Amino acid sequence: MNLSKKTTLFIVLIAILWVTITIMGWTGNWFPAMFLGLVLMILHMMLGSAQNGKLNKRLFFYPLLCWLILWTMSFALSYHYGNLFAGKLPNFTILGFHPSFAWTILTYWIGGVATLSLGFVVQKDLWLSDKNWEEFKRKIAKMNEEKGGEYSDGRS
Amino acid sequence: MTAGVKTLIVIFSFGMIVASFLIGWVAKRKVTSAQAYFGGTGLFGPFVVGFSTMAAVASAFAIVGIPGIIYSTGNTMTFWMLSSAAFAMAYMILGKKVRAMAELGPVASLGDISDLRFNNNRAIKAIMSIVLFLGCVAYLASQIKACSTLFAHLLGWNPILAGFVIFGVLTIYTAISGEVGGILTQAFQGLVMVIAGVIMIVAFFSITKGFGPLLEVVSTAGKVTDGEITKVFSADILNAWGVFPGSVAMAWMIIPILGTIGQPQVLTRMYALKNPKDMPKLGLYASLSHMIVGFFAVVMGYGALFLVGKGLIKPLASGDQAVFAFADYVGVHAQLFVYAAVLAAAMSSASLFLSLTSGIISRDLPSAFGYRFSSEKQMKISRITIFVLGVLSILFALTSSEMVAILGTFGWGTLMSATFPVFIIGLLWKKASSQGVLAGLITALGLNIISLILVRTGFKWPGALPWYVNVITASIAVTVFISLFTKGATEEDLDERVKAVIDL
Repeated sequence: MNLSKKTTLFIVLIAILWVTITIMGWTGNWFPAMFLGLVLMILHMMLGSAQNGKLNKRLFFYPLLCWLILWTMSFALSYHYGNLFAGKLPNFTILGFHPSFAWTILTYWIGGVATLSLGFVVQKDLWLSDKNWEEFKRKIAKMNEEKGGEYSDGRS
Repeated sequence: MTAGVKTLIVIFSFGMIVASFLIGWVAKRKVTSAQAYFGGTGLFGPFVVGFSTMAAVASAFAIVGIPGIIYSTGNTMTFWMLSSAAFAMAYMILGKKVRAMAELGPVASLGDISDLRFNNNRAIKAIMSIVLFLGCVAYLASQIKACSTLFAHLLGWNPILAGFVIFGVLTIYTAISGEVGGILTQAFQGLVMVIAGVIMIVAFFSITKGFGPLLEVVSTAGKVTDGEITKVFSADILNAWGVFPGSVAMAWMIIPILGTIGQPQVLTRMYALKNPKDMPKLGLYASLSHMIVGFFAVVMGYGALFLVGKGLIKPLASGDQAVFAFADYVGVHAQLFVYAAVLAAAMSSASLFLSLTSGIISRDLPSAFGYRFSSEKQMKISRITIFVLGVLSILFALTSSEMVAILGTFGWGTLMSATFPVFIIGLLWKKASSQGVLAGLITALGLNIISLILVRTGFKWPGALPWYVNVITASIAVTVFISLFTKGATEEDLDERVKAVIDL
């Protein structure tokens, strides 16, 4: 996925999403705003995970898309069961949890770590390959050499 | 609590303070440059950095305040406290870029990265430093106050004496070894929190017999009264949303998950990592250790709910008593580990914020105003600043309750409002201009102060949305909007090396 020409669009979308989510919070539309929050997060992760403007599709599918689906399900199921058993003892539990809260544990908390934290380790080369890192260091060394003292900035 | 238990807690806590001091003392050998002293730059592996980051993020509030909020208002807070995946998200978004900036030049503080990205723009560095300073001082004072008051109450000491014993030692080792000692002691303290967490989670299951019985007790207990104190139970306490308005649940999901990336405890640790290829492992270690500490905090609130609902203890006068009430019920070993966890959480966050604050005062702010010193002199000035600031913070935190409460308004959201324009937008987008970022920072500073005043006057925010969401949104929107029409530190004006970092 080539994102190099879409960065400005993504950043403008990020700003619009922050404003929209805030206004939705003011007006009581917090539940749909939670899903927009997920879009906000995945836009950041897509930008941050791209190498030279390109996001690897495998990295996008796992962990990013898997995470997005898991958390979307999580909020939808929590909302559904929260409404179904509002104000009363639920007539069943999931592993002992309130059916609404079980999804916070299983998909939001454990699922979040299983996708993002674990997936990040599994796909680490697609996020930053040895080749790209070494190339980056060579590029920086070459620039410093070519420019001589120009880059010896005056920072303390 | 018996005198014997108190003595054991003192021995246990004192042992932890001494161990922290020794780690800090030994760590001073690694301080060979300003980058090492101020940032621990490129010195540590993912395990140490992961535990250190988690410990600095999980403050005393996480161990004491969170169980209290869960006891009082139910599961809303679990969105925040079970946000363990946020570390991986943060590193995925910004890890390689922040770490790569340390390859461009000597990076020892967030101010250095701001200099590199925005061509030594002094106004950006100064305003960012001021907002960070407000957030850091607020965190520092609240750690000192909470921990010193707790131990003073427990031992019958004067709070100032307790403050000097705990945070005086911390000030000494932080001044001697800087962030090198800071990172190592925080990793040790993080380990203590994780061990305490495992023990208390086991204790929770052994007392409640699991979540099923807990749900039944909370759903059926009704009202439990003792004298003037009444605790009202309902099934909704344990559904996913708790009893707060939904907009609070929304904010407490988005702000900690995305906001972790904007915390100085997380940002500064990105360049402390030796090999950037280890960033995913760092995310995993931080996430796993946070899972234990986060769950520990959550089940302490549940434990107190269970005991009160079952009539095994009296309803609590204040939610903040939840973790201690549960530990007291469990017995001596639980009391030992809970107090150790509170101490570890307070010390790890305090040392981080003490060293950050002194770095801002002795290094970033002077450089923003055009004063430059050699590395040796910077470290010397910083050591003196840490000593002075450490002593003043202890005195301030323990003698100015009203002011600490006022400053306590600042925190996670304040820090986000300063770091998002400079680092998140600045390092993801080549067109983030110096004018845009400066405007975003001025907005953040102004709105943080206005919000502080409004919060103190009891202003009701629309939709019950926490105030800092508005400030963060405004600072980001202003940064992006102004950047679309200005060009400072972009295109030809952007250092080619920084372009390479953003592309990485």
